[in-house]
Amino acid sequence: MTLTDKVNSAQNDPAHQGKIKLVSHVNAINWNKIQDEKDVEVWNRLVNNFWLPEKVPLSNDIQSWATLTAEEQLMTMRVFTGLTLLDTIQGTVGAVSLIPDAITPHEEAVYTNIAFMESVHAKSYSSIFSTLCSTKEIDEAFRWSTENQNLQKKAQIIMNYYQGDDPLKRKVASTLLESFLFYSGFYLPMYWSSRAKLTNTADMIRLIIRDEAVHGYYIGYKFQKGLENETEERRQELKDYTFNLMYELYENEVQYTQDLYDGVGLTEDVKKFLHYNANKALMNLGYEPMFPKTVTDVNPAILSALSPNADENHDFFSGSGSSYVIGKAVVTEDEDWDF
Amino acid sequence: MEAPRTGMDYHSLNAMLNLYGPNGEIQFEKDREAAREYFLQHVNQNTVFFHSLRERLDYLVEKEYYEPAVLEMYSFEFITQLNDLAYSKKFRFDTFLGAFKYYTSYTLKTFDGKRYLERFEDRVVMTALGLAAGDEKLATNLVDEILAGRFQPATPTFLNSGKAQRGELVSCFLLRIEDNMESISRGINSSLQLSKRGGGVALLLSNIREAGAPIKQIENQSSGIIPVMKLLEDSFSYANQLGARQGAGAVYLQAHHPDIMRFLDTKRENADEKVRIKTLSLGVVVPDITFELAKNDEDMYLFSPYDVERVYGVPFADISVTEKYREMVDNPAIKKSKIKAREFFQTLAEIQFESGYPYIMYEDTVNAANPIKGRINMSNLCSEILQVNTPTTYNEDLSYDKIGKDISCNLGSLNIALAMDSPDFGKTIDTAIRGLTSVSNQSHISSVRSIEDGNDKSHAIGLGQMNLHGYLARERIYYGSEEGIDFTNIYFYTVVYNALKSSNAIAIERGETFDGFADSKYASGEFFDKYTDAEWLPATERVAELFANSAVHIPTQDDWRELKASIMEHGIYNQNLQAVPPTGSISYINNSTASIHPIAAKIEIRKEGKLGRVYFPAPFMTNDNLDYYQDAYEIGAEKVIDTYAAATQHVDQGLSLTLFFKDTATTRDINKTQIYAWRKGIKTIYYIRLRQMALEGTEVEGCVSCAL
Repeated sequence: MTLTDKVNSAQNDPAHQGKIKLVSHVNAINWNKIQDEKDVEVWNRLVNNFWLPEKVPLSNDIQSWATLTAEEQLMTMRVFTGLTLLDTIQGTVGAVSLIPDAITPHEEAVYTNIAFMESVHAKSYSSIFSTLCSTKEIDEAFRWSTENQNLQKKAQIIMNYYQGDDPLKRKVASTLLESFLFYSGFYLPMYWSSRAKLTNTADMIRLIIRDEAVHGYYIGYKFQKGLENETEERRQELKDYTFNLMYELYENEVQYTQDLYDGVGLTEDVKKFLHYNANKALMNLGYEPMFPKTVTDVNPAILSALSPNADENHDFFSGSGSSYVIGKAVVTEDEDWDF
Repeated sequence: MEAPRTGMDYHSLNAMLNLYGPNGEIQFEKDREAAREYFLQHVNQNTVFFHSLRERLDYLVEKEYYEPAVLEMYSFEFITQLNDLAYSKKFRFDTFLGAFKYYTSYTLKTFDGKRYLERFEDRVVMTALGLAAGDEKLATNLVDEILAGRFQPATPTFLNSGKAQRGELVSCFLLRIEDNMESISRGINSSLQLSKRGGGVALLLSNIREAGAPIKQIENQSSGIIPVMKLLEDSFSYANQLGARQGAGAVYLQAHHPDIMRFLDTKRENADEKVRIKTLSLGVVVPDITFELAKNDEDMYLFSPYDVERVYGVPFADISVTEKYREMVDNPAIKKSKIKAREFFQTLAEIQFESGYPYIMYEDTVNAANPIKGRINMSNLCSEILQVNTPTTYNEDLSYDKIGKDISCNLGSLNIALAMDSPDFGKTIDTAIRGLTSVSNQSHISSVRSIEDGNDKSHAIGLGQMNLHGYLARERIYYGSEEGIDFTNIYFYTVVYNALKSSNAIAIERGETFDGFADSKYASGEFFDKYTDAEWLPATERVAELFANSAVHIPTQDDWRELKASIMEHGIYNQNLQAVPPTGSISYINNSTASIHPIAAKIEIRKEGKLGRVYFPAPFMTNDNLDYYQDAYEIGAEKVIDTYAAATQHVDQGLSLTLFFKDTATTRDINKTQIYAWRKGIKTIYYIRLRQMALEGTEVEGCVSCAL
């Protein structure tokens, strides 16, 4: 059974192996009684950030896509199939598996939002594919994703932890996925956009990064909250566990990065980016960085491109930008119309 | 301390502008290094070398890169002189983005797109030779003004001048569509033709009957304006100017058109794919009455254009909704529907939050300020063009019955800071006006006759301005402060005088005015009342001092009386003279802050299809004067509107006014700002831009644009 099948079966049968649990008891969520302000803050942020792939005029990238060499195109498609797999896991299994562990009822609601947006992300990659590539190419890239051992292993590791019984370990796995594992893939569209290629695709990825940054931050925050109730011994155990998992994922991630980027000579640069984001993921979990500053000096063009702030001054004629959000509607009062 | 990097490429160096240095300072020198590396690593080795000017020109003409007719108007001796003059100025790009933008988008390249055939000086000389059309004095003045950075022609002019394979020199077109299939299909055809030739096209949809309106008296037949928008959007995607510029279009709709809510919903985040409009820009024409209805919290009636045209005998867009509103409400022959006026404004704000659209044109403000006879019912892609138009009618075989007047406008902008430094401000403006007038004279868009006729009759141009914020900061004045607004007022006051004076001089030289001058407020003298009846002087000492220290003469009431007499006698050549565009690309090349806006960020992240993401430092900014570079979000909408209001009173057309909000704003804040702008006499609002700061804990560390 390939991993994709496993994801599918987990999705179809929530009781599969008895590992993915549903909440057994449900109370109506009262948003007027808030235990943790962070839940509201993040919920509002996520709602404001809602978007759909149709928003981005990807077809403006068709000409640019044609300027990539065959090898570059192949690499790009592989990167996106890898990202699709991760987002599928996070949407159909990961975020859902966190719901039963929620400390507050509002946290449950936030996870459902996260799960939904992850599915939107997974679908976005399909929008990129269908805009830029032929069906045959798409099928081949997906076949590659099921056959690439390092990608499969990365997904397998995460899947195992989602199916385990330890709620805090699940959060660690989830945070590392959101804040670390995605980034080997995110590097490429940022790289292209710094070279004026596939800029609309990059816009869409930046929308995804904007979401993942909040997801990783929030799940990491909830992990730290959970940690507060644990014994010193158990805290040490979780810390060791986190760093071990990080090493395991890192080793595999380096292999995966080589598979993807060796052909174009970008591997070394991507590795710095991995280090940078590994530190970021650990920071989200409340831990000190693992990599020293000397190996996190990411190419400034990539680092600057990563800024999740919606502050770029885009030219409206060639793209829609990644800055718009759903606003807060407030009715005007008589005093506003006093003229 | 970071170890010195070796072999850093120019993109990375440029990106370092957006990352603080070891001592928390902005690394301006990295950007200059980026510009240098760009020439060393890329430009120099990809530029075709010629031994002499003669060899270069012969080659470029022979290989059909340059238009021989442009060069044939001059002696080779003169061209050599002009070329020497250009190179004697020792021009250097101030920023990486300036150079990168120039070489990516403007300079002449070999047909395979791989090598550069021009340097900046060469482009300037070719532009000057093209525009001057054999007039050596004008050519020399243009080279002088453009290379000094005081005047910069708009993109299509600067991009295309003198090239043999090129688009048009004009930036901008505005087309009416009437309520019949011939006009709609002609509108689509014209959009394709005009996009192919460059520039943006705006179309007026207000006259088209609404969804469900009758066709041939049979009810519920029309599909309304959305399918027309879809057709237009696809047309613009298809046509681009030799790949140089993506086709771009805008559509304007009267707020009281029955399809108005459907029109706005096309930009909703969750709009269905069948109605979603991605790349077409939207504008709404809002009359005063709508504000009054909202003030009284009344219903707002929407009127069927089909019925209105039958009742009044003229298209919907040619009547004043404010004037006829009550009459139309009471007329049973006009089918109508209603919505809540305040809900309309709230929806407007919601959509602006989600998409930045629509633009707004304050219809009655615009028409009250219009010195030309006729009605203004739409604006353009950048909401700064405001001119009158008339409908075109067609025969059954699609040929023209009566050719109406549609609008084209060519633009160019002054760099306010450098214009204030000009040794002869009057000459700077005169050169700009003459350069722009040449573009009008050289443009003949025969594929769209209403545009060609309109241009031949009006010779309309739009002199714009940029680098206001850069200038104010250089002079250590805060944008939006009393002094900032005072300067803006007096500067634009001085510009309008000099622009009219030049247009009057051209009319005298050629013995020709624009068509319709006799019916204008210039001919009646009414236009000049506000300048001859009151004295316009700086209100603050600082601004008086700035002008006293410059070579700029502030016109007196007597100057105006003299000009008024001359204009009433001889007329002016150009129907319209000023329009302040948003100046995206050219302000990077010219090292200006865009338009008369405040900066969007100290280090602006610029994203464009052809550039990717690049970083641009505000002009004249150093680590010592950062205080004066508050960004638009900090400055707030009100000060921006106050600044624009000061300029607006001296500008015959419009000014692109973008409003900037933090993401903590609500739709009510946007509505309040729209009301404030309307009350201050603002003519149009362009985009709404929003800045959402990263959630605390998720931001990129040490990044300039992330810091508040």
